[in-house]
Amino acid sequence: MNLDYSGDIMTLNMGPQHPSMHGVLRLELKTDGEVVVEAIPHIGYLHRCFEKHAENIEYPGVVPFTDRMDYVAAMNMELGYVLAVEKLMGIQVNDRVRYIRIIMAELNRIASHLVAAGTYGLDLGSWTPFLHCFRDREKILDFFEETCGARLLYNYNWIGGLMFDLPEGLERRIIEFLDYFEPLVEDLNRLLSYNYIFIKRTASVGIIPPEVAVSYGITGPNLRGSGIKFDVRRNEPYLGYEEFDFEVPVGKGEFGPVGSCYDRYMVRIWEVLQSCRIIRQAIAKLPPGDVHATIPKRVKPPVGEVYMRTECPRGELGYYIVSDGTSKPYRVKVKSPCFTVMSGFREYSRGAMIADIVAIVGSVDIVLVELDR
Amino acid sequence: MTRYLKDLWYGWTTTWHSMWITIRHLFRPNKGYTIQYPTVKAPLPERARMRLFNRIEDCIGCGQCARACPTDCIDIQTEKRGKDEPPVFASDGTPIKLRTFVFDIDMTLCCYCALCTFPCPTHCLVMTKEYEYAVYDKRDHIYHFAVDKPRYASPAEKEQPAAKA
Repeated sequence: MNLDYSGDIMTLNMGPQHPSMHGVLRLELKTDGEVVVEAIPHIGYLHRCFEKHAENIEYPGVVPFTDRMDYVAAMNMELGYVLAVEKLMGIQVNDRVRYIRIIMAELNRIASHLVAAGTYGLDLGSWTPFLHCFRDREKILDFFEETCGARLLYNYNWIGGLMFDLPEGLERRIIEFLDYFEPLVEDLNRLLSYNYIFIKRTASVGIIPPEVAVSYGITGPNLRGSGIKFDVRRNEPYLGYEEFDFEVPVGKGEFGPVGSCYDRYMVRIWEVLQSCRIIRQAIAKLPPGDVHATIPKRVKPPVGEVYMRTECPRGELGYYIVSDGTSKPYRVKVKSPCFTVMSGFREYSRGAMIADIVAIVGSVDIVLVELDR
Repeated sequence: MTRYLKDLWYGWTTTWHSMWITIRHLFRPNKGYTIQYPTVKAPLPERARMRLFNRIEDCIGCGQCARACPTDCIDIQTEKRGKDEPPVFASDGTPIKLRTFVFDIDMTLCCYCALCTFPCPTHCLVMTKEYEYAVYDKRDHIYHFAVDKPRYASPAEKEQPAAKA
C-alpha cells in the first residue's frame, strides 16, 4: 500500500506502563494526527515460561501455576487443566464434585465479569461503577476464601476431586448473595450501561465484524458480542452443562453496528445474570457425596495426548497435554483466549481515535498474564 | 441543533439517574463497606492459608512435603538415628527414625498452594492464619524449623489425654 501521507505519520508508544493498559502491554501506534493508522501490539513482557515450567513439575503441582495465568478467573483456569488430566486418566468424578465445580466456576465468572465491567468504566472515566463492582466481587471472594482458604489463587480443583468440601451452610449464603446481587445488576446498568456518555463512547467504536471475529479465532464474549452464538458450555458441553437451563446472550447492536465495544460489554453483563441462573440450579440439585473419593494416590497418566477446551470468562481456553507415562507432563500447551483476541487487534483498531484505543483495549477484556503465560 | 439538544438532554438525564444511586447511598443507614484495616481486622475463615508452620517435634523427616512443593521452597536434610539412641515418637505415636537437622522453608518462594500440608503423615506442617510478617531483610523469610525440641519418649505420652476424653 502506498501511503502518500507517510511523512506525517508519528509513531507513539502506548504502554507498557500505561494506566489504561490492563497489565503490561505496549501498543505501537502509528498516528496521523488524532487518527490511528495502525496499532501494533507488542506482547511478551509478562512471559514466565509456564509451558516449559509445567514440564518439570508433577501433574498436581501444575495447578497452582494455572491459577497464576489468569488471576481474575483462577477457578476456570485450573478447571480446564484438571478436566484435561482427568480425561487423559479416564477419571469419572461424582456428581457432587461436578456441581461444586460448576458453582465455583460460575461464581468466578461473575467476579471476573464484574472486574471487566468495573475497570472498563474506569478506563472511560467513571469511577463509581468500579466501586460498586468491587464491593460485590469482594463477597464472592469471601466465599472462595471460606471454601479453600485463598482469595485469588485457589488451587481448589484437584485432579480427581476437590481440595475441600463446601463449608457448612455456604449454599444458603450463596443463594442469599444471589438474591441480593441480581437486583444490583440493574443498578450497575443505570450507573454505566445506560449512561448516554458511555454509550456514545462505545457504541460505534472498535467494531469486530462476525467474519473478522471468526477468521481470527476470537472466542468468548468477544465473539458473542459480534453476534455469533457460540459458547463451549452449550456447543460442546463439559462437566454436565447440558443439564442446565441457560441462554447464550449475543450482541444485538442496540446503539450502533453489531460487534462494537458496547455489545461486548453488554454480553458480559447479560452473562452475569445467566451465571446466576446456573448457580441457582446447581445448588438446588447439589447431591451429597465425597469430594475426595476419586482423587488418585499417584497421578501417572498413560501414554497419550488430550485436548480439552472449556469456556473461561475470557473465551475458549484449551489445554493440550502430552503424557509420556511419567509423573510429569511431557508437554502442556495452552490455547489462550486473550492471545487470539489480541492477534486481531490491528484489524479492528484501524482508523480509531487515540482515545478510542483505550476503549477498545478495555472492551476485549484481556489479562496480559494469561496472554503471555 | 436538535441533535445537540438531544445529546444534551440524554447526557444530563442518564447522568442524573446514576447520580441518584450515588445520592441514595449517602443517606442509607449503612454500616459501611470498608473497615479501618490496621486497627480493625476482618475475621479470617477456618481454612485461611497463610504462613507455613512446622511443629518440628512431630516431624518424622519423611520429605513428602518437599516432594509435593511445586516451587521447591522446603529444604529437608536428615540422618539416621543411631541404634543405641532412645526411641522417640511423634505426638500421634509414629516412631521417628530420622533426625531432621535442616528443615528450612523459604517463604519468599512459597506460593501458598497448600500442596505440602496434605501428604504430611503426622499433620505437623500446617498453614497458619498469620499474614503480617513483612521483614526488612529477605533472608529473614527463611524459617529454620529444625531446632532441638524435647521429643515424646513414648507413644503413650500423647495418648493419655485422648484416653481421658
